[in-house]
Amino acid sequence: MQKSSRQPSKLLPSLFKHIDEGELITVFHVGPALPETVDFFSNYRCKLHFVDLFSALPIVCNEDTTALLEQQLAQVLTFPSDTRFDVCLFWDLFNYLNSDTIGVLLTALRPHLKDNSLAHAFSVHNLKTRHNSHLYGIQQLDVLSFRHRLAAPPGYAPHSQNTLKQLLHCFKLERSVLLADSRLELLLHASL
Amino acid sequence: MIGSSIIIKGEVTGDEDILIEGRVEGVINLNGNQVSIGESGDVSADIQANVIKIDGTVTGDICASEKVVISKSGNVSGNIVAPRVMLEDGAIFKGSIDMDPASIASKEAPLTSQQPANSAATPMTSPGLDLKSV
Repeated sequence: MQKSSRQPSKLLPSLFKHIDEGELITVFHVGPALPETVDFFSNYRCKLHFVDLFSALPIVCNEDTTALLEQQLAQVLTFPSDTRFDVCLFWDLFNYLNSDTIGVLLTALRPHLKDNSLAHAFSVHNLKTRHNSHLYGIQQLDVLSFRHRLAAPPGYAPHSQNTLKQLLHCFKLERSVLLADSRLELLLHASL
Repeated sequence: MIGSSIIIKGEVTGDEDILIEGRVEGVINLNGNQVSIGESGDVSADIQANVIKIDGTVTGDICASEKVVISKSGNVSGNIVAPRVMLEDGAIFKGSIDMDPASIASKEAPLTSQQPANSAATPMTSPGLDLKSV
């Protein structure tokens, strides 16, 4: 595994601002479990659910395959029925999923969201933004970690910010920050 | 020690530490002790112990009263319940991690051989992903 690097984040602390000391936090993390992320959350009472959808890319959904993808995602996103995520960490997953796939994914996830669920994601400022192929984690409350992937995931096709806002039907955009490499860091709030 | 040529199917219990380099299927219950899965170890079992160190492959639910350590050569698929979990760079983990003291207290009842691997109330959250056929 590549060595990790650090990236400050203005939005990351907002994911945890409503979490009282000693309160249980349930996290949905898309991507492999990284050492620093697990170490960060060891400071909390927490339940972490790691689902590496990046390893299943490309995931392409169209009219003919929607039902099959719904079934497969329902199997992958199997959580105890009382699971409600406080925090969802999507990283840059939405840059690799088409519109229909994002819809199916969020429909499968929706039963496990609650009114005050928060989420973090990366998108792009414009559609020509270059692909950076990173694995993301959390190092500190305001510091992300990233590692270069050995191979870029297939299917990179980011959405514009306006398009993504419409596709994320379970969430509303609360804040966005423009990063130096023309990416956007997004803070999302569940809208059920 | 369970050597690399040894295959055990059933329940492993005892009152001392153990190093597993072979294959175990079933249940490993060594409350109060340390279970180490060596690099050649291949375990398809639920494991309960004080400290669990994994250098090999484990498929099953893991409950430790102190900590779980997955080394750079470790490959774990299942749910972990422990106050502390440490992953080294290169470790592979699929599943959920529960670091809630309440969960740990509720899981301290010993496992029995009647319970197959992955029998914990919390099912595996990430069975093998195979979405490419879509």
